[in-house]
Amino acid sequence: MNIENIQQLTQFIIDEKPHIVIDKEICRSCDHRACVQSCPANCYTWNEETNLMSVVYETCLECGTCYVVCDKGAVDWTYPRGGYGVNYRLT
Amino acid sequence: MAQYFDVIIVGAGPAGSVAALKLAREGLNVCLLERGSRPGAKNMFGGLLHNTPALNEMVPSFWEKAPLQRHVYKKVLAFMTPESTVSLTFENENFDRPPYNGYTVLRPAFDNWLADEAVKAGAVLLCDCTAEELIVKDGQVVGITVKGREGELRSNIVIAADGVLSFLAKKAGLRNDFSPGAMGVGVKLLLGMPEATINERFHLVRDQGADIAFLGIPEGIRGGSFLYTNRESLSVGMVMHLDSLRKSGKAPYEILDNLLQHPQVRKLVKGAIPLEYSAHLVPEGGIKAVPRVYTDGMMVVGDAAGLCYTNGINLEGINLAMTSGALAAETALKAVEAHDYSAAMLSLYKKKLDETFVMKDMKKYKNSVGMMRIDRLYKTYPRVLAGIMEKVYKVDGTPRTKLLRLARRETLKEIGLKDVIADGIKIGRALL
Repeated sequence: MNIENIQQLTQFIIDEKPHIVIDKEICRSCDHRACVQSCPANCYTWNEETNLMSVVYETCLECGTCYVVCDKGAVDWTYPRGGYGVNYRLT
Repeated sequence: MAQYFDVIIVGAGPAGSVAALKLAREGLNVCLLERGSRPGAKNMFGGLLHNTPALNEMVPSFWEKAPLQRHVYKKVLAFMTPESTVSLTFENENFDRPPYNGYTVLRPAFDNWLADEAVKAGAVLLCDCTAEELIVKDGQVVGITVKGREGELRSNIVIAADGVLSFLAKKAGLRNDFSPGAMGVGVKLLLGMPEATINERFHLVRDQGADIAFLGIPEGIRGGSFLYTNRESLSVGMVMHLDSLRKSGKAPYEILDNLLQHPQVRKLVKGAIPLEYSAHLVPEGGIKAVPRVYTDGMMVVGDAAGLCYTNGINLEGINLAMTSGALAAETALKAVEAHDYSAAMLSLYKKKLDETFVMKDMKKYKNSVGMMRIDRLYKTYPRVLAGIMEKVYKVDGTPRTKLLRLARRETLKEIGLKDVIADGIKIGRALL
């Protein structure tokens, strides 16, 4: 079974306003960047060349894993505005 | 729309909707707030709705009315290594007749149905509303502010049913920060499969369902995997301790992919079509991680109150959640009658929780939290067990070893005697 594209199976109602804001300065000096690997939706990317963390809030499953594993206080995470974000249809 | 309610319930999940249903039936002016565009849109779990008398009390014979998938007839507990599974299968005719012991369920449909029962009883359901801040007056919670449909709502009591990451409980000062050591993350892939194929493949007839729990994630991460049969789909996934996942350096979907590639799982899911991928946190800190569940003007129910436990064999949460919702509603009724919304009055809720199976079981398995954190439980012991089974069955022209000696040899090959004894004591204290 090929699950490469499973993240595209889930529906999202995308808000123009992000519900995750990261402090890139803190991420730059982070010694583990656990968010990158722990996020079930692969929302976080660390760029080795530019030393920059980026986050894609649009495909966030709203589980909160990043918020809990970040012990540096770099992840400002809230639930999206009502009506926006992940929209499970079947699960 | 009335801006003032007797009770505002934040979160139309199982705990919140049961509370709303009970209060609305008693004629209270109840608001049920949901941040999704409909109840269930934000919710996922592995897939098992346990028999819950509190639900049956409010919706008699709910199994004939609710959108359920299959009743669980077959329970399988399987220990897994990369090459093998050692399983214990329990099939039971007593689980094949009502009241059934449990059901496989898909949450968007089930949660929507349950919230709708509350609406039919007179509760006001407001979707697209994320609760943002508590409104506190003279030290008492008197309402909430909403983002989405902007505004504020006032009430005598707020019931926080806002899920595992209960920002409301945190804002009310009832709980500490969320810690990776007290949380698991669940990931799940829903796989479409024809009903007849499921019945044949899992040896089921009619509405019978199977619940397969795999202990041991081959990567050595503390956690378990699950496979539940729905009517025309399979729920396959895993729950992993966050601190252990973090340490592993692996991504959740990689680990899920490895599960699906496991030789004994691959053939079960062969030909299935991926339908939807989901993830959610699970409270796994046991009774020690349960916050204070009430304060002036507010009660906390379900996952928000950390009411969830596992002992490796049982994994319960939704039944605890719904029961806590019913008990919070009973307390709110008394409080409204007495016009007393103080913490002293609402402490009745905690007393009720303590008297039922909810807190009794949380207490009973308080030591299982420590047991479930033994790393060896997930990699080493399944390997020892599989090693024993292989030698029990293997025929290769060499003389056999009797069982006790074999077990000792296989165990000590992997683990020192001191560790075996220490683990044995932990497991014994948790389960025996």
